[in-house]
This record gives sequence, C-alpha cells and structure tokens, in this order.
Amino acid sequence: MTDVYTRRQLLERAAAGGAVLTLPGFLAACGGTSSKSGSSSHKLAKTLNFSNWTLYIDVNNKTKRHPSLDQFQKQFGVRVNYTEDINDNATYFGKIQGPLSRGQSIDRDIIVMTDNSRYPSLLIKKGWVEKLDKSAIPNIKNLQPALQHPGWDPNRDYSLPWQSGLTGIAYNDKLTEPILTVPDLLENPKLKGKITLLQGIGDTMPLIMRANGDDPTKVTDASWSRAIKVVEKAVHSGQVRQFTGNDYAPLLAKGDLKACFAWSGDVVQLQADNSHLHWNLPKDGGGIWTDNMLIPNGGNVYTASVYMNYVYEPKVAAEIEDYVNYICPVVGAKQVLLKKDPAIAKNTLIFPTKQMLDNADNIDANALNNEKYITQWQNLITS
Amino acid sequence: MGFLHRHRGLTPYLLLAPGLVYLTFFFAVPLGFLVHQSLESGNFDIGYSFTWAWGNYSAAIRGYGAQFARSFEYAGIATVLALLFSYPLAYWIAFRGGRWRNLFLLFIVAPFFVTYLIRTLAWETILADQGPVVRILRDVGILGSGGRLLATSVAVVAGLTYNFLPFMALPLYVSLEQMDGRLIEAAQDLYASRWRAFLRVTLPLSLPGVVAGTLLTFIPAAGDFINAQLLGSPGQHMIGNVIQSKFLELIDYPAAASMSFVLMATILLAVALYARAVGTEKLTG
Amino acid sequence: MSAVAVRAPQRSNALARAWAFLRHHVLTGYAILAFAYLMLPIGVVIAFSFNHPRGRFNYVWDGFTWNNWRYWDGVPGLRGALVLSIEIGVLASLIATALGTLIALALVRYRFRGRGATNIFIFLPLSTPEIVLGASLLTLFGNRAVANILPLGFATILIAHVMFCISFAVVTVKARLIGFDRHLEEAAMDLGANEWATFTKVTLPLIAPAILASMLLCFAVSVDDFVVTYFNAGPRVTFPIFVWNSARVGAPPQVNVIGSVIFIVAVTGMVANIVWQIRRQRSATA
Repeated sequence: MTDVYTRRQLLERAAAGGAVLTLPGFLAACGGTSSKSGSSSHKLAKTLNFSNWTLYIDVNNKTKRHPSLDQFQKQFGVRVNYTEDINDNATYFGKIQGPLSRGQSIDRDIIVMTDNSRYPSLLIKKGWVEKLDKSAIPNIKNLQPALQHPGWDPNRDYSLPWQSGLTGIAYNDKLTEPILTVPDLLENPKLKGKITLLQGIGDTMPLIMRANGDDPTKVTDASWSRAIKVVEKAVHSGQVRQFTGNDYAPLLAKGDLKACFAWSGDVVQLQADNSHLHWNLPKDGGGIWTDNMLIPNGGNVYTASVYMNYVYEPKVAAEIEDYVNYICPVVGAKQVLLKKDPAIAKNTLIFPTKQMLDNADNIDANALNNEKYITQWQNLITS
Repeated sequence: MGFLHRHRGLTPYLLLAPGLVYLTFFFAVPLGFLVHQSLESGNFDIGYSFTWAWGNYSAAIRGYGAQFARSFEYAGIATVLALLFSYPLAYWIAFRGGRWRNLFLLFIVAPFFVTYLIRTLAWETILADQGPVVRILRDVGILGSGGRLLATSVAVVAGLTYNFLPFMALPLYVSLEQMDGRLIEAAQDLYASRWRAFLRVTLPLSLPGVVAGTLLTFIPAAGDFINAQLLGSPGQHMIGNVIQSKFLELIDYPAAASMSFVLMATILLAVALYARAVGTEKLTG
Repeated sequence: MSAVAVRAPQRSNALARAWAFLRHHVLTGYAILAFAYLMLPIGVVIAFSFNHPRGRFNYVWDGFTWNNWRYWDGVPGLRGALVLSIEIGVLASLIATALGTLIALALVRYRFRGRGATNIFIFLPLSTPEIVLGASLLTLFGNRAVANILPLGFATILIAHVMFCISFAVVTVKARLIGFDRHLEEAAMDLGANEWATFTKVTLPLIAPAILASMLLCFAVSVDDFVVTYFNAGPRVTFPIFVWNSARVGAPPQVNVIGSVIFIVAVTGMVANIVWQIRRQRSATA
C-alpha cells in the first residue's frame, strides 16, 4: 500500500496548510435565518424570504444594498432575506420539487418563475403554491391589462408578474455587421462558433418558428420538427457555441460572442459596460415572457402579499425598473420615470411599443409539457 | 475502564463503531439507495417505482456513451499533462529547493486556497476570446483568426489539469523527497549519464508517487462537471454534466442513478486494473 | 529535461561549464515558469477584486477601486453564505475528527479481524467521484421516509460533509500515530496510571497536533466543497453555491474579495510557519 503512504503524507502537508484557513471564519460575525410556518393570519412575519433571479432588483452601486428592500423594512418592519439563487427555471424547480412534493416548506415566501417554462403552471396544478391574499393587494389594479388573464392562472389567483421581457437577437457592432434575422444568425459563416442560443424551449423556439413562418402559439408536430431541424443543423455545423441561460451575458460583454439570442433587459444593463452592444426583435418576430412571483406552500401568504402590494405601487415599481431595465408590469411606473429618469422611460426595450409587443409571442403551453418535445430538445442541447 | 480491561479484544471494535456506523449509514447505504433508484422506472409526473429496470443501464451507456468516453479521455489527458508538468517541478523542489523547499511547496498548494469555482472562473477570464492568451496564440499563428479556446476541449482539459494539479505534484514531491541522495549519487557514478541514472534509479523509486498522483488526479477529473460547464460547451459535456442535469434539472432519477453507478464502477475497475498493472511490475520489486 | 540538445565539445572547458550551467538552470527556469503558471489565476482573482466595473458586471477590467473591499459585505446573501460555510466547516471538522481519531486509534493500535477490510472501507469515499457521493446521498435524503425526518438543509449538508471528511481525518491522525512511541504509554502504565489516565495524560497530548491538523484539513475541504453540497443543500446557500449562482451573470467583485482574503490569510499563515521553522532549525544548528 505504498500509495496510501504517500497519500497520507500528502494529506499531512495539505493539513499543515489548512491550519490557517480558520481565521477568516471566526472574524465573520454571526447571522442567522429564521424559519416559520405558513399561515394565513393577518400578522406580518419578521422576515420575508424572497428568492429571485440575479440582477433583478434595484441595487445601490456603491453600497450594493437594495434600496427598495430597505424601504420596505423601514415601512413595515419586515426584513427581506433576499436570495439570488434562481438561474434557470428547470434547476430551481428541481431543487424545490422534492420538499414540496412531500408537503415540506422550502423556507421561501416568494419565488419567481417564468411563464415560458412549464413550471409556474405545474406548481399550480400540483397544488404546491398558495393563493394570494388579494385583500392585502389593492394595488393589483395597477397590473398591465395584457397580463391580467394568462391561460395558466386566469384570475391571477396564485401569481403576480415581477417583470416581463422580450427575447431577441443581440449583437456586437465591433465584431459583426448588424444581425437582424434568425437565418442570418444561424447561417452567416462569419459568426461560426460565435453565437449562442437560449437553453429554454420557450426562449429559443418562438424565434425559430417565427423565422420558419410557423405560429409558436399553436405548435404542431410538423412545425416542431421543422424548428428542431433548423437548430440541429446550426448545432452540427458548429455555428452554435453553447446553449445558455443568463450566462451569455458575460460572454457577450467580453466579446467572446458576436451575436446571440438575448433578453431585452440584460442587454440594456450590458450596454453600460459595452456600448457596442445592440438588441433587436428579429424581423420575423421574437419572444415575450413574464416572470411571476409565486408563494410556495408553507410561505407566509400575508407577508408575501403585503410585499407584492408594495412593489405594485408605481413609485416603488419605477425605482426597481430604473435599475432592472426589463418590462415593467405596473401601470403608472412609466409616468414616475418620465420625471425621474426620462431616458429609461423612453427606452423602447423597457417600455416597448405596441408594434413590438404585437411582434412577440409566448410559446404554446402544450408544447412545453410535451414529453417527446422535452426529450428531443434536451438531447439536442446537451449533445 | 474495568470493562475494557476484561474485554481487551472488544476495544478496537468499540473505537471503530461510531465512525464505521456513520460511514455505513451515510456512505454505504446511500450507494444502496442509488442502485435501487437506478432500477426504477416511470417519470416525474406519475412518479417512479421499482421494477428491476435493467434497461436504464443499457440506455445510459447507449445514449451517453460519448459523454462517458469523453470523461475518461479528458481525465486521462489531464492526468498525463499534470504528470508531465509536475514531475520536473517536484524534482526541482526536492533536489534543488534547499532550505526553502517548504516555501516552494507552498506555490504548489496555493491554488487550493482559492475556492475551486473562483479559480475556474479566473481561467474563464484568462482564456476569453478577447483575452491575452488567445490574442498571443493568434499572433503566433497557432490559432486561426477566428480561433478560440473557451468552449473547446482544450479549455476544459486545461481547466481539469490546473485544478487537480496539486493532487499530482504533492505525492510526487513526497516520493522524491524521501529518496536518499547518496543513492542517486551512487547511481550517477554507476551509470554513464545522469539521464540514465534518472531512468534507472530515480524514476522507479518515485513510482509510488506517480501511482498515487495519477489516481488522485484521474478520479476527481473523470467525475467533474464544473470545468466542462464553465469552460466548455455542450460539445464538451462530460458524464458529470449529464448526471447533474438529469438529477437536478430533469428530475430523471433512474437514468441519473444508473449513470452514476456506471461511472463509479468503471472508475473502480480502472483503478484496480491500473494498480495491478503497476503493482506487479514495479511496486513489489 | 534535455530540452537543449546541444552537445558540448569535450575539449572546451568553458563551453562545458556553460553547458553545465545551462543544464542546471534549465530546470530552474522551468520551475519559475511553472510557478508563474500556478499563480496566474490567483493573480487574476486578486486583481479583479479591485476592479471598478463601469456597468454591473465584473469581467472586463475597467479601473481600480477600494470599494469592493470596503463594502465586502455589500452583496446581499454573501455574508449569510459565508457564515453558513464556516458553521458547517467548524462542526463537520469537529465531528469528523472525533470519529476519525477513534478509527485511527483502532487501526494503528490493535490487530483485529476485519482490519484490512476496514482500511479499504475508509478509503472508498476518497476514491469515489464527488458527484457519485452527492447523488447517492440525495437519493437517500430524497427518500420520502428519510426526508420527512430530515429535510434537505443545514443537517443534510453537515451529514454529507462529515461523511467525506472522516476519511481525511483517519488518514491524517493515523500518519501521526504510526510514528508514535508506545513506550511512553507503557511507562505511564508501569507507573500505575490506568488506561484512561494514560490516554488523557499521555496519548492525547502527543497526538494533539495530528488532531489539530485533521480539523484544519477537514475545515478546508468542507468550506471549499461545491459538488456534494450542491446536491444536498436544499434551500440553503453556502459560499461556493453563492459563487456558482452569481457566476452565471458574472460574480460580483466581492466574491473575489472573499476569495482573496481566504488565500492571503492561508498563505501568510503558512509562510510565517515556514519562516519560523527555518529560523528554529538555524538556531538549533548554530
């Protein structure tokens, strides 16, 4: 067992090195998290556990704190334990489905999931999310009319939009001519290995289908296989470098990508780093989606509802919007921003025109739940 | 302690009991659960049930043979690269490091003190398409004008090599350092050239370090998914990526479990074969 | 190693010396380059902790600032993740070292049936890929009956960390015990100490450094673990998971600050230790 002999020496040495690692540990102060059970009482909890996507709420650039959350605490005495632990819908759902299926709490009062994935509707269907306490959300009247009656939650009993966004094509004008159509993106030889697509079916497929002349809101086997073939070809030719979630952002900003499928708000944020970036809806049409706040079972319904009401005040919504730069679901936020930050209010990526909205689709929910499609897609993007 | 005195034979078992019971419950039993899960069938919506579904294994190997092969290929290359890189370095520290040997050793361990994910992200920055490394490689013509490192197997193997290098270098160093300097001097007197002395004496004596280092590098590299995720693209996905996504995203437990088990079994087999091959030839001699 | 394959002419003494010099220093030159390679990513990590991103993303160098260090705690969730990692690390290293020390004592001190098998069993977790360890624990914790008692969270992370730390602890303590002079214990017993007194008064102090080393190693391994934790953390976020989550959009510079602090503290401690050892050796020989 000579290898054991050397292994232990290795470990000994490593241990000698590890010795000093403890110091920073003890320097750090103690923090703690409180857990509580779900209740429908009209009493505010001490903390609100809120899981959201990264870079999806206002940040003070210097202190890195979230002003809107600090204000909420001041106003209601509820500390928001804000966790940016959602990176893509599938992974997050995978993480929470275990406990939820067993009727256990996941220590969250609000989570945010996208309606172009199957998960918001799945959560409702499985009975894993609580009904909102609408009596605590009078501001629900400020919800954009277009978002009031989604098919999977017709009366907004379980969900409220956090932000919406458009899916389109971003490109870097330093590295390429403008890329305005899907075929150009997928076939232009100058872009080989320098483009990415999005890993969600509901993100990528509407754009592909529109380019094929198909209707993404009514997916058929034929239109699906046409779309899959297009993507397959682009993958096998080496045109597509990766399928990404949020992670196309660093690649695009650094110049590793010349163009990619991208979300509108991300690009607005990225333009601060790199003014060479542009974003457009493809001529044939793009995608639109909405991220929804949901209260998982065991979450504190009242406190969560009070918070939702708070962010549906136009002033607060405007404050968040000013940083997040996606599409604000709250009517009235634009008016506030027109005074405060007119550049943002006039940015059509943030307050899109009707024409843009008409040219963007959310994908057919049936397609998202089709096991055959899911398997095909998954095999394609992980091959 | 009177009890122990009377039953001295029991003492070792009493000492072992807490730890072994723990490892049984949280290492051995979970592996049993894993095997059990790997033989289930069903899907997320209707749930999974145990049906002796051996088909999961053939499906895993058939459907993901490429990723399995890639894992072993990348891990193998990374291990060889790490060995070639570390050996001269370990040799230099052991024989030329002098009084400051421990300080030099620190350089080898240093990467361990930066969180694994953070140092991999640093490589993402270094190897970026617009970064200095790619620019230099383009200038000297190794990479074409549109060439890149990120999202290629080169970057993934480079990441694996760097991340597990200390596992290779430390055992090598330990085995070299233990060597009796007089033995090497004698060998140099005996053989005409230093090089032959090295081949005939130093290298064989350091073989235990090579074996340990190879195993310590190969095993974690074969199961890794971080490097392929951060530095590669789907074309570089290793079996770890598939297991991870089947377990945590697709909630396809039986497929993921059967793949985990195949991975573990293959590695144990490879290790056994390797230990045997090296052991019979050199180690016992 | 004979990268320079020039044959030195035997006659010329100077040339031979130059060749010898070169050959001697080829390896040194290589070592310097190798060290540079090893330190390169670390340099990048530290440099970007001072980056002042123009926008919100920390991957293009935009300028120098102290702010990330001043507001290291500014990124919400970072402190909580760090604290959780440290709590788990401390507890896991204590428990694993306690269990591991007992096992090491049994393995080194006693000849008993099943000793060989135990040795192999202890090494199995070390030779199992992390992803298999993580996945198999998740199948255990995901089992309905188990999950009802033990939902994913702090406890499951701790259990997982203790599991993979035990083997490290056994190996570290065993190494020390093997080179340990049993005569001291026998002498104590001869002087009338009973087994317990011998253990606490003689054995324990002698192996204390090994126990400390084991705890520190376990702590280091635990704090750095991502894969096993990622599978079994449930809703909890440790420091590596925090890095993973934030990496998707570019980790904030504060992550580099924490990474740099861990590195600097560890290395400073080790350098101090080495210098102290060298000094001691010197004064011992002087």
